[in-house]
Amino acid sequence: MPDDIVMELRQVSVAYHGDIRILQELSLAVRAGKITGIIGPNGAGKSTALKTLYGLLRPIEGDVLIDGAVVTGLPPWRFIDRGIAMVPQNRSLFNELSVEDNLRLACWSFRRDRARVEAALERAYTQFPILKERRKQPAGAMSGGQQRFLELGRALALKPRVVLLDEPTAMIAPRLSTEIYEFIHGLPAQGITVVLVDQNVRQCVRIADHLYVLELGRNKVDGATADFAQDEQLRNLIAEWVDYRIDA
Amino acid sequence: MEILVLNGIVNGLVVGGVYALIGMSLTLLYGVLRVVNFAHGEMVIGGSFLAYVLFHAAGIPPLLALPVAAVSFFALGYVAYYLLIPRLARSDDPESMSFLMMYGVSIALAALMLLLFEADSRSIDYTFNPISMKIGPVYVSTARVVALAITIVVSAAVGLFLFATLPGKALRAAIMNREAIQIMGVDIVRLSAFAFALATGLAGITGVLVALVFPAFNAFSGPEYSIIGFIVIVLGGLGNPIGALLAGVAYGLVEQLATVFLPQALAQIVGFGLLVAVILFRNAGFMRWRVGR
Repeated sequence: MPDDIVMELRQVSVAYHGDIRILQELSLAVRAGKITGIIGPNGAGKSTALKTLYGLLRPIEGDVLIDGAVVTGLPPWRFIDRGIAMVPQNRSLFNELSVEDNLRLACWSFRRDRARVEAALERAYTQFPILKERRKQPAGAMSGGQQRFLELGRALALKPRVVLLDEPTAMIAPRLSTEIYEFIHGLPAQGITVVLVDQNVRQCVRIADHLYVLELGRNKVDGATADFAQDEQLRNLIAEWVDYRIDA
Repeated sequence: MEILVLNGIVNGLVVGGVYALIGMSLTLLYGVLRVVNFAHGEMVIGGSFLAYVLFHAAGIPPLLALPVAAVSFFALGYVAYYLLIPRLARSDDPESMSFLMMYGVSIALAALMLLLFEADSRSIDYTFNPISMKIGPVYVSTARVVALAITIVVSAAVGLFLFATLPGKALRAAIMNREAIQIMGVDIVRLSAFAFALATGLAGITGVLVALVFPAFNAFSGPEYSIIGFIVIVLGGLGNPIGALLAGVAYGLVEQLATVFLPQALAQIVGFGLLVAVILFRNAGFMRWRVGR
């Protein structure tokens, strides 16, 4: 295994209700300091792959690895200790709790270390100043875009080395979406590895370093984004599968 | 008539407080664990029998039985959680399985209490001094006033825990979004075990209050309290502890005031009528907050 791979799915199959297979022998690797994009049509298993990578789903076959060590079956609450955070597709805020309480809950694993908690809060407030302004308000009272900022702030406050993002701009106004993609694009420069599952293929292709294309729970093709741009056959395949043509 | 109504209000607040504690426990359990605890009534009656045994066998008065019940039931709940609940998660339909399993547990607990205490109704022959108090124009038994004060203190303590401490907020967060709380790094198994233990501890306390407030209890009294608990959590909104608190008090008031104006048989129907009306016309309960999926 190359040294730069921080997370990996190896020949993973996942099934719902015992026999409905969503992922079938899927393999993917997350490279340190890069943005790994996962794209594919609806029902391809993109979000399932991300949930499996984070321990929310347990594979029936295959393994999940962190830093080359098999961690299959590791519960999701143990991933933060390993420097891995996740922002799921569906809204994951606790709407009745204040913005600040949402951030404090993200610091659960080191909640007794007051200085560290305060530093994490300050980090989130610095990255997204609107959160500081609204810190006493219920999270559910904020706009969709602000809620997404809180979810990102909550994940990044922990100073993760890897962040898993599932459809980060779903249901977000286009102007804010662009802002969020620019923010994500800048994360590797802060030393944060990104795994990005997205229906917005245009933006995903634009910012990802490495792409996985899934179809019916299997790897269809993967490679460096630059290679996709240079290979006419690959470009045609992508255009066929996800209805988006990568610029040459 | 005015005295009767005032009496009904006072009694409604007292029994409503007991119902509120039952509702809060059940709604915490359902909210955090998605477990429909049909055995909660038997756990409550278990608390009543504990107070009975402590008083009649060791001379320990009910007020001192309260901390004993709280601690011992909390510990039992913690153990019971690990014996019963984690295996349910492997089922395709854990909620239905929990209902069936806890129904089985309720039958087993009732049978155990029958074995230990036989079918006779029991009561604690403990009297406070003075035996009753005059509140305005109404005389109320001191036991009921004490029970009301305890329900207020316990409810306030639970409320304070849920709304002012980080573990309490984690419990509420788990009710709102069970997947997200795991992503935050919260060990959902330990949190669930704590919720189960807390609800069982509250059942123990409630059982002591039942022994104080109601004339008698027996091994078969449990289902009555479970059903009232389910009515209360539906009225208050599933997974909403404050809704359960308010709904418990409201249900107690309606039940007791109905006995003032209606024949006993009809009065019992009022509470269930309220339940049907809420399900038909406002199925999120009185309050907006609902359990997340």
